[in-house]
Amino acid sequence: MLSLKIENLAVSFPGLATPVLAIEKLEIAAGSRVALTGGSGSGKSTLINVIAGLERVKTGRVVWGSDNIADFSEGRRDRWRAANIGLVMQDFHLFPGLSALDNILLPARLSRVANADLVQRAHTLLSTVSLKRPEQHVETMSRGEMQRVAIARALLRQPGVIIADEPTASLDLESGEAVGDLLLSVAADAGSTLIIATHDPRLIERLDRRLSLRSGRITGDTQAKDIAA
Amino acid sequence: MIGFILADLRRLWLGGAVVVLLVALATALGVAVTLQERSLRLGSARAADKFDLVVGAAGSETQLVLSSIFLQPAPLPLVEGAVLTKLSTDPRVDWAAPVGFGDSFAGYPIIGTTTKLVDSTTTGFAEGKMFALEGEAVLGAAVDLPLGAEIKPMHGTAETGGHTHAGAPYKVVGKLQPTGTPWDRAILVPIQAVWHVHGLGAEHGHEEEHHDEDGHDHAHEGEEHDEAAHADAEADDAKPVAEMPASQPQKYAFALGAASSAHVESDHHGSIDPDAPIVETFGASTPGLPAILVKPKTIADAYRLRQEYRTGNTLGVFPGEVLTRLYATLGDAKMVLSAVAAGSQGLVAAALVLVTVIHVGQRRRQIGALRAFGALRASVFTIVWLELFLLVALGIGIGFLLGLGAAQVGAQLFTAKSGVILPVGFIREDLRLALAFLGFAAVLAAIPALLAYRQSPATALRA
Repeated sequence: MLSLKIENLAVSFPGLATPVLAIEKLEIAAGSRVALTGGSGSGKSTLINVIAGLERVKTGRVVWGSDNIADFSEGRRDRWRAANIGLVMQDFHLFPGLSALDNILLPARLSRVANADLVQRAHTLLSTVSLKRPEQHVETMSRGEMQRVAIARALLRQPGVIIADEPTASLDLESGEAVGDLLLSVAADAGSTLIIATHDPRLIERLDRRLSLRSGRITGDTQAKDIAA
Repeated sequence: MIGFILADLRRLWLGGAVVVLLVALATALGVAVTLQERSLRLGSARAADKFDLVVGAAGSETQLVLSSIFLQPAPLPLVEGAVLTKLSTDPRVDWAAPVGFGDSFAGYPIIGTTTKLVDSTTTGFAEGKMFALEGEAVLGAAVDLPLGAEIKPMHGTAETGGHTHAGAPYKVVGKLQPTGTPWDRAILVPIQAVWHVHGLGAEHGHEEEHHDEDGHDHAHEGEEHDEAAHADAEADDAKPVAEMPASQPQKYAFALGAASSAHVESDHHGSIDPDAPIVETFGASTPGLPAILVKPKTIADAYRLRQEYRTGNTLGVFPGEVLTRLYATLGDAKMVLSAVAAGSQGLVAAALVLVTVIHVGQRRRQIGALRAFGALRASVFTIVWLELFLLVALGIGIGFLLGLGAAQVGAQLFTAKSGVILPVGFIREDLRLALAFLGFAAVLAAIPALLAYRQSPATALRA
């Protein structure tokens, strides 16, 4: 469970005059559930990459808990991300040729932290996400099942933060709903901070806070109770 | 990590197999050239090992060695029989033996020589015994004939339009143990039989004169000696064969001299007298010879003798020395082949870099995802590096085996044709070559691995 504090963040890409992302101040409380919305080109993906430690930050501070990841080296950011961030992507990014179980364990294995406890946890997570065949190869699964494997993978190392980028966009209505339910319930169980970039109105509705982005700036910040009101 | 690499390779098995095949073929080419050249060098050196000094008539040194040691049929000028007589009695000479060739049977060269030479250059008999009569023959280990077989010598070879000699055939009485030299393919008979077959009374200065280009090198001169030699053998016909220990031919040193034989007169082209005992002391009237193998007593004697017999009408050579010169030529050919092999290896290496760089580019997203989900950069580097390195290393391993196999097949073909056994095998030096190849593969594999290492996960995922 980590809180996020962003100060004076500016992300530019070479060849572009204006920064693709400019945030003077943003705070997200630990354990909160935040929806991130905005059209394509709004800087949504860039923000996700920045807070996940995937993008190097040259200007500004991005502080998770007490760590300013903008200061981290690439290797340190990788290690920090592996330990603290559970990532769920629109395209799952599962590895064909490996079983569901192996996919869940792959990042841990590649970071050489996999042990018997983690393997046990992977089995538990498989049942948490309602998958019954740990040895099933992922390429033989439905898209909904694949995303559930991806969620299990994100949860393996009990991250303080779960970041999902359009987790339901490539799924049908029913699967999307199930994935939304799952994300909310696992985040609630673990008390993780949950940040979801999404267009899905039903998913947005169920989150506590909604941040709207446009042209790299935060143009809206509403609490769920405000919306309800 | 290994599990991931194996799963990945399983998925891309076809591409992987092509990479392995390419590397294997390029490696095999280089390895085969190296092994073949080395085995040719070692094998021919071994073949010449027993022959310290060869004396022939003035002419080509190389041809003298090729004909006497590798039994390559070619016309050789003849050295006077007197030279053999002189060498035989020279105190510096352990033994000297004539080598007469020109006939063949079923593709095997028939070599006329002495029991002394057979004893000294082989390890003994696999079966049977040494020839003791003019009509007896001993087989090299690679001659596929049974004991007791009859051999009708053919003048020259069948390919060069030879004709079969009339007259009594030789009878096989022994088979030698393998020596790994071209002499394994030879049918050895008493030298006097060869002289007699060719009726060395050349009052019929016959067609051989014109045949010579076809590869018949015969002692067909020295006509005046022939009758005498033959006749003398005839005269001693009565000697009991069983009492002739082959190792002591001197005991039967019948002086060649006066005597005449109606037999010779009646059979011009000559034929053997199968029951005549063999004569191995060579008097002044010995017929001309294509080559004489000499075993000097000491190395100093060898050098002196060679010096002495390099003047005038004779030519003394150390086969080893002539071979060394041939190897120099062989070495040049090897360099060219090695350069071709290295070029093809370079091409394969370049192609591999191209393919893998493209491949890494195509998998940017996947590599980015690995990073995004927490794999360390070092892990990504290791995965890409190890994946390519494993393929190339496997290819190199297979290539070495393929090269060995190719060299062995080549050596076997060569052995079947020449009798020279080529020792094909790896030596320590090859280990260095293998390590050099692997080192190169390691560097090669690092190129795409570095590309993958440098990819920013965010950029890769966006792609």
